[in-house]
Amino acid sequence: MLDTSIMEKLRVLTESAKYDVSCASSGTQTKNKGGLGNATAAGICHTWAADGRCVSLLKTLLTNDCIFDCAYCANRSSNDIKRVSFTAEEIATIVVEFYRRNYIEGLFLSSAIEVNPNATTEKIIQTLKLLRNRERFYGYIHVKAIPGADPELIRQAGELADRMSVNIELPTEESLRILAPQKNVQKLLLPMAQIKKGIDEVNEDRGKYKFAAKFVPAGQSTQMIVGATRDSDRSILFAAENLYKNFSLKRVYYSAYVPVNAGANLPAIQTAPPLLREHRLYQADWLLRYYKFEAKELLTEQEMNFDLDFDPKMNWAFRNLDRFPIEINTADYGLLLRIPGVGVQSARRIMHQRKISPIKYEDLKKLGIVMKRAKYFIVCGGKFFGERNLEVEGLKRIMNPKPMYEQLSLFNLTKEVPYPLGGRNLLPKPVEVGSPTDGQAKLGLGRVIF
Amino acid sequence: MIYLHDGLFDGFLTCIYQHYYGHKATGIFEKASYTPCLFDEVLVIETDTEKARKVYNSIVEKLSEEVYWSVFYTFLANDVNKDCYLLNYIVLAFKMGPSISLLHSHDVVYPVKRLSKKVMSERHRFLGILRFSDIGNCLYAELEPENDILMILSDHFVDRYMNERFIIHDIKREKAIISNLGEWLITDFKLKEKVIFGEKELFFQGLWKRYFESIGIESRSNAKLQQQFVPLKYRKHVVEFHTD
Ligand code: SF4
Repeated sequence: MLDTSIMEKLRVLTESAKYDVSCASSGTQTKNKGGLGNATAAGICHTWAADGRCVSLLKTLLTNDCIFDCAYCANRSSNDIKRVSFTAEEIATIVVEFYRRNYIEGLFLSSAIEVNPNATTEKIIQTLKLLRNRERFYGYIHVKAIPGADPELIRQAGELADRMSVNIELPTEESLRILAPQKNVQKLLLPMAQIKKGIDEVNEDRGKYKFAAKFVPAGQSTQMIVGATRDSDRSILFAAENLYKNFSLKRVYYSAYVPVNAGANLPAIQTAPPLLREHRLYQADWLLRYYKFEAKELLTEQEMNFDLDFDPKMNWAFRNLDRFPIEINTADYGLLLRIPGVGVQSARRIMHQRKISPIKYEDLKKLGIVMKRAKYFIVCGGKFFGERNLEVEGLKRIMNPKPMYEQLSLFNLTKEVPYPLGGRNLLPKPVEVGSPTDGQAKLGLGRVIF
Repeated sequence: MIYLHDGLFDGFLTCIYQHYYGHKATGIFEKASYTPCLFDEVLVIETDTEKARKVYNSIVEKLSEEVYWSVFYTFLANDVNKDCYLLNYIVLAFKMGPSISLLHSHDVVYPVKRLSKKVMSERHRFLGILRFSDIGNCLYAELEPENDILMILSDHFVDRYMNERFIIHDIKREKAIISNLGEWLITDFKLKEKVIFGEKELFFQGLWKRYFESIGIESRSNAKLQQQFVPLKYRKHVVEFHTD
């Protein structure tokens, strides 16, 4: 199989798969049981692509030959593109050889819908069986659940994979109907519900038996596209919050829409992907998961979209100035997390160090607090160090949004990156949120479906 | 009194032992990297594994595993004063007990936290960017890390490649992990001749490079960010960054 046709297939199928952003390999720990590979809980990036994004998995499609015709997708059946498919054997070989060389952490296998959902899922299962049973591969595997496939097949795939995902893509029923008419909400939520049930059952069994079967041990995730429709950040974030609650998702990923097709209901083909908007959504998502914020605190009826100049936490602080300043030496953990410039790690350090001795102003920087932002919102040992009596406008002027890329680099890359692994914070140039075309205006703001 | 050791962790721990049972140490250095100073009183300490073990035991028992790992990671750091920081840290730790882990910004604690974090993150980086080649009878990888991280890479790769034979070669320090189906050791190591890659190896290198080129999204291209994650100094041994 060592020939150039493999090279070409890998190129074509990677090009088609790369817009799927969920690349995190973290969330599970598997010991090697005498074969090849293991999975580490922390997740490992193996390289960073030219766009600065972390590459952890071999992310590819089984095939790009699709019977569906989703408007936003490069592989839709109405596009005249080259169609290729891998065999199960080819994928298994590439995964093993890449893994041995430490190029990758594992496999992220997605697929267009070839022939029908069952046939596609069967081929996915065949690939996983080769890897797990013949090659005794214990590395990380993430597969797409194909909506519409038989529940029995989804179960089989779930027993072999570490993570499964169904991409929701759009947060409202209306958008789905217009852009992906062959999909519907029920069809998408069904496999999600099944996977959740499978995971819950195994967890229950684990309480009872020592050797409970495995089922998607790293949990399930999903992805939503940002900027293909007029859906607001609020619709997207509320949908994400509901998905976390109702399906216990591990992650929701957001993907700035890169126009690959022309279409009446789509942004113009030259529209730049709304990277900054995507960045704000990731920050907000991070606030939901680790900072105990609720979606309704971050966006309101009056404020449907995130301010692109300030991050969501800072914006929340602007709207709630009456709660500040907060005393570092007495505030509880939840309150510390609400201070701009204080992250999870610094909040923990504060809690620890306070047990031994009161915290002094000079300590704050060493504890990892970004003082440039925090000093307007805190008191330390009763003393306030920012300028007095600032109202929102004054604060905004001081925090004076620099040209966009500088503003973003304030966000400390090495400490807390709200992305799967690695980040995309530094933008080459300021980016506009895609301006609506005429056709798009029809979409309006849909009802949140979950 | 300045104590000098042979560069092994046991040597360092023996110095700590001497500090408590002999003269008080004012500084500890590795013999090879110490620049003599006219006014220093210097003593070279003979490594004694028994004494080292006693110190190790009391760190783990009276303090905590966490303290031990901070000490060990800091010891691997590339910093001439690391052992002096550690001396102060260990002395303070035995005064305070395990609660020393709660401190972070303290003058004695901070340098240790800072260095151990640096070592830890370099380890994590290499878990990702270390590249092996199949050279016929085993897998072979080269690296030139800033800190001496070979030891703390071993657990990860030995478990991962349980069914393989491999060599991880620190060419700067001329030593290597050599692992054979799960059994391994660290030893002095130098290549006699240049490694030559076979056809199959070159094919998979090429395939990987092709994949690497295809995965980036052009409209989001961002070389500056890429360089932040993979600084130029690390690229020498990372095959997808080689141009040919
Ligand atoms: S089903 Fe998937 S691959 Fe097929 S057109 Fe829709 S999004 Fe694209």
